[in-house]
Amino acid sequence: MSDSHDSPDFINDLVRLFYMVGAVLVVGTIITFAIDLAFSLPLVWAAVIGLTIALVKASFVVAIFMHYKWDKKLIMITWTMVITFFFFAGMMGLIMWADGDAPNLDRIEMPARWVVLASLLGVALPASFTFLTVKMLSQPAPVEAAVPKPRRASKKRIN
Amino acid sequence: MEIPYTVKPRPDTGLYNAKLGIWLFLASEVMLFGALFSSYVLLRVGAEPGTWSMGLMDLYVGAGNTMVLIASSMFVVLAWAELKQGNLAGYKKWKWATIACAVLFLCVKWGYEWPSKFAHYDVWLNDATVLHEKFQKGYHETASHGEDGDDAHGHGDAHGGDVEEHIEGIYTTRFFKERSKDSHDAFDVAWHNGTLALSGHINAYEEAQIDVRITGWKADAGVSEAEADKALAKFGEGDTAKLRRDGGLLLSGTDYDSAKRAEYALGQAGFTVALSVAGYVKVEAQPWMWRTKRVTEDIGGKPRVKSLYFGLDHSSHHQEITLDVGDIKRLSAYEPKHSTFFGIYYTITGLHAAHVFAGILIMLYNMLPIGLGLWHRDREQFTNRIETFGLFWHFVDLVWIFLFPILYIL
Repeated sequence: MSDSHDSPDFINDLVRLFYMVGAVLVVGTIITFAIDLAFSLPLVWAAVIGLTIALVKASFVVAIFMHYKWDKKLIMITWTMVITFFFFAGMMGLIMWADGDAPNLDRIEMPARWVVLASLLGVALPASFTFLTVKMLSQPAPVEAAVPKPRRASKKRIN
Repeated sequence: MEIPYTVKPRPDTGLYNAKLGIWLFLASEVMLFGALFSSYVLLRVGAEPGTWSMGLMDLYVGAGNTMVLIASSMFVVLAWAELKQGNLAGYKKWKWATIACAVLFLCVKWGYEWPSKFAHYDVWLNDATVLHEKFQKGYHETASHGEDGDDAHGHGDAHGGDVEEHIEGIYTTRFFKERSKDSHDAFDVAWHNGTLALSGHINAYEEAQIDVRITGWKADAGVSEAEADKALAKFGEGDTAKLRRDGGLLLSGTDYDSAKRAEYALGQAGFTVALSVAGYVKVEAQPWMWRTKRVTEDIGGKPRVKSLYFGLDHSSHHQEITLDVGDIKRLSAYEPKHSTFFGIYYTITGLHAAHVFAGILIMLYNMLPIGLGLWHRDREQFTNRIETFGLFWHFVDLVWIFLFPILYIL
């Protein structure tokens, strides 16, 4: 959490917010539980509903409990998580692709160069990410405070 | 060497270094758990009906544990808020509450959920039609004292022709959430091609009493006569020299472990030993994690375990049937080796529980004088340390938030 939010009033608001998020999480769990008890849903719907509620709960945890709401202007965290997301999506995609390997599915053969490309991407993304991070952090920090630019705010003013 | 930016944010990243570090660590954790989640969902979607343990997961326990983790996640962030206000006593109060929740979670997971599975079995039979006879016999034996009505999944009483229907009820409750055309078709296939899994507990079993006989002694094995006699004497009184020369019964009606120990020790002393089954005794016990190999192990032409008293799950009256080991194709407890489901179930929940356990250790460290020393040296740095731990702990909570629907609902 950045320094601008250390006042006692803000902390008090924060604590109230924490309790509200706690309530949201409990309610989310109860809804999931109740739906499963009350209805017998087909697998796809169970997955969609169950995971959607989980996603909402997770968003609250990340945004409030993990302070992302106040930290998101800090590009490093966003950057880390966005790249992680792409990596995860790619990995999931590869796994789904492999599933198509079953002989009973009429699968269009995947060209070998795609496999090579996907593998290279899989290595290159985290590698370049690691490289950039290490390079950046191994340099001494600039003396002049390069406080994150308030890009959005300035845009708003222009509009 | 002093670590820079433990309190003030680094100008170019805008974060103090530990916070960036923990976010990078969490990114790697996302990939680790992401791979396992993907695999689980893929395996789940690709599973044939009747092969995924749908009816097994106890929704109440799962939801309860979710609540416990949510509470702990709240407490840890409240502990941090207390530190922000300079209140160490408040921090300690919430931190102990967090630890209590974490311990409770692990107790439920490792003290109840897992162990109860290790004592639970599936049995696959060579020919499911033997159940017609066994089942009726078992029913009559136990029906007299089974007056507690049908349990939540009761499917009525089994008489003659509807044995199959009764077993279908048990099977459906184990592998499906409810009876449907899918479940009926899956049962039909399983019943006819020998893939039917009957679930239950081993309430008792008939185990072999073993005779150990000396059948010979090799003088050229490099063991002196005196040493060989000494080895024999360990297993019983009597004329050891005569036993060595002529052979004969050494131990009679002993248990498996003693017999095997004698066989090994005497083998080292140059003896040839024959084991044979003298008889069987019924042992009242609920063994953990038995496998086919163990019960069917050959001892002088007979199996180590003759029969299992198998208490069926989900049946009205929890009736017990007696299964001959010869009829059993496969016996497996709900252990990782049992099936794909249990393999990935233990992997994911185990990895998550390991994170919870690690979290407990870190929290305890931050409660002990050695960890609190930092508070007295530099309050802000300690507060930041608790914040980074909080980030880790919320992530563990996040993983469970997704695990709960995936494991218990899907």
